[in-house]
Amino acid sequence: MNGFEAISYYNGWAQAVAGALIVMTGLSLLALIVSQLYKIVEFSENLGKNKDSARVKKKEDDLPADTVPDLLKVDINGLGELSRPYADKLGDSFQLRELYDIFQKNSLPHPHLTIRSLREAGKIVPLGDGMFCWNR
Amino acid sequence: MDLLLQFLTNTGYYLADYRNLIMIVIGCLFLYLAIAKEYEPLLLLPIGFGVIVGNIPFFKGFGLGIYENNSVLHYLYFGVTTGLYPSIVFLGLGAMTDFTSLLERPKLMLLGAAAQMGIYFTLLSGLALGFLPKEAASVAIIGGADGPTSIFLTAKLAPHLIGPVAIAAYSYMALIPIIQPPIMRLLTSRKERLIKMPEPKRTVTRKELLCFPVIGIILCCFLAPASIPLLGTFFFGNMMKVSGVVDRLAKTAASSIIDIATIFLGLTVGASTQGDVFLTPKSVMIFCLGAVAFSIATASGILFAKFMNLFMKEKINPLLGAAGVSAVPGSAREVHLVGQHEDPTNFLLMHAMACNSSGVIGSAICAGILWSFNVG
Repeated sequence: MNGFEAISYYNGWAQAVAGALIVMTGLSLLALIVSQLYKIVEFSENLGKNKDSARVKKKEDDLPADTVPDLLKVDINGLGELSRPYADKLGDSFQLRELYDIFQKNSLPHPHLTIRSLREAGKIVPLGDGMFCWNR
Repeated sequence: MDLLLQFLTNTGYYLADYRNLIMIVIGCLFLYLAIAKEYEPLLLLPIGFGVIVGNIPFFKGFGLGIYENNSVLHYLYFGVTTGLYPSIVFLGLGAMTDFTSLLERPKLMLLGAAAQMGIYFTLLSGLALGFLPKEAASVAIIGGADGPTSIFLTAKLAPHLIGPVAIAAYSYMALIPIIQPPIMRLLTSRKERLIKMPEPKRTVTRKELLCFPVIGIILCCFLAPASIPLLGTFFFGNMMKVSGVVDRLAKTAASSIIDIATIFLGLTVGASTQGDVFLTPKSVMIFCLGAVAFSIATASGILFAKFMNLFMKEKINPLLGAAGVSAVPGSAREVHLVGQHEDPTNFLLMHAMACNSSGVIGSAICAGILWSFNVG
């Protein structure tokens, strides 16, 4: 048996059409998922960041007022002078996370509260896109 | 004297016939292409030498030949007939593949899918020429331009055709620099070949690279479970590479393991092409169909890219469609070179690699589909 007769007898047309459709559908779906994948990854990263900052805020809010060291209440300029050399090491702009890490590495006390106080005092100002700089 | 005569009648010189000599010449030709021309030497050298080994005449019944039980070659051939070597090769391929270019340009995945139409066209041609359905499917997969996939499917559906199908598949993969460029030039205008592809607008993150193998295997293997032996190991190899926590394993998969599998795969496939099995009208038809499969696959990728351009504001260079075949990185290199020939400032390589990577996945899915259509 040869020719079109053989193709029809062995269901060749159905196999070819079905096979082509299946592979096109499969790879199209994969392409669609891949094209949206970065959005899903960004969303999950933002979700994680929001949870972290909410946790940090909760911890700071939970601290009774009388646990804040006197230095932080009284001498914001002294605190700024102490912290600025470390911020300068990070360059003109930096993320708060990086500042926190460098404070922690150099054993500065209460790095969270320090950064919060410096922000509230306007010593650290936001530049946008998650970056900050020292207010000169 | 009798002893000497008995020895002489058992030598290859006495037992040789013209088919052994033709095949040995073919084996030497493969060695020449591999060594002097450097056409896919990693494949053609083991195959070429295997052809020579497999066609040395011997007295049957001594457990020497590849088709005789308890012979060394027969034990090594086990990895071909069971589909073990192709799975291991895919493990190494996955560990070597960087999907960054594909994830940066997901729409190019469609070109990898379009290039698989060569497989289905060849399926119809094979049936029309009198091949049985399983044989036609084994010949059709040559259009995927993937040697391990071709061997895998043929071992499952039509083991008696492993020799000619493998030789055809690997020969045409090695001849990509000769087959593809004329088709590319024929189906595209100069203006189309000059299209420059825009650079990706964003960088792919590590998390995306980590998610892709998991998404890929779930989507593709749920769709075509018969492709698990190939795509399962492929995505596993890739996961090892991108995870960064099993570098030792990834390096081993991408080097020693794939090399061992390639050596034994090539040698035993070559040795299986014995003259009395290989030099038949069917083998000639398989070679002709293989050329058709390759050409149609290249053409369908290019034509689909032109079709996509009808609906897209940012046009795709249609040459990229030719890279939708699974011959990594040969066809990507050819697409890049043809593009460069028109405009030396046009860099198509990474875009072509995206299509190539997609072609590997597409051809493995097609193998799974054809196997499930023809099982039983």
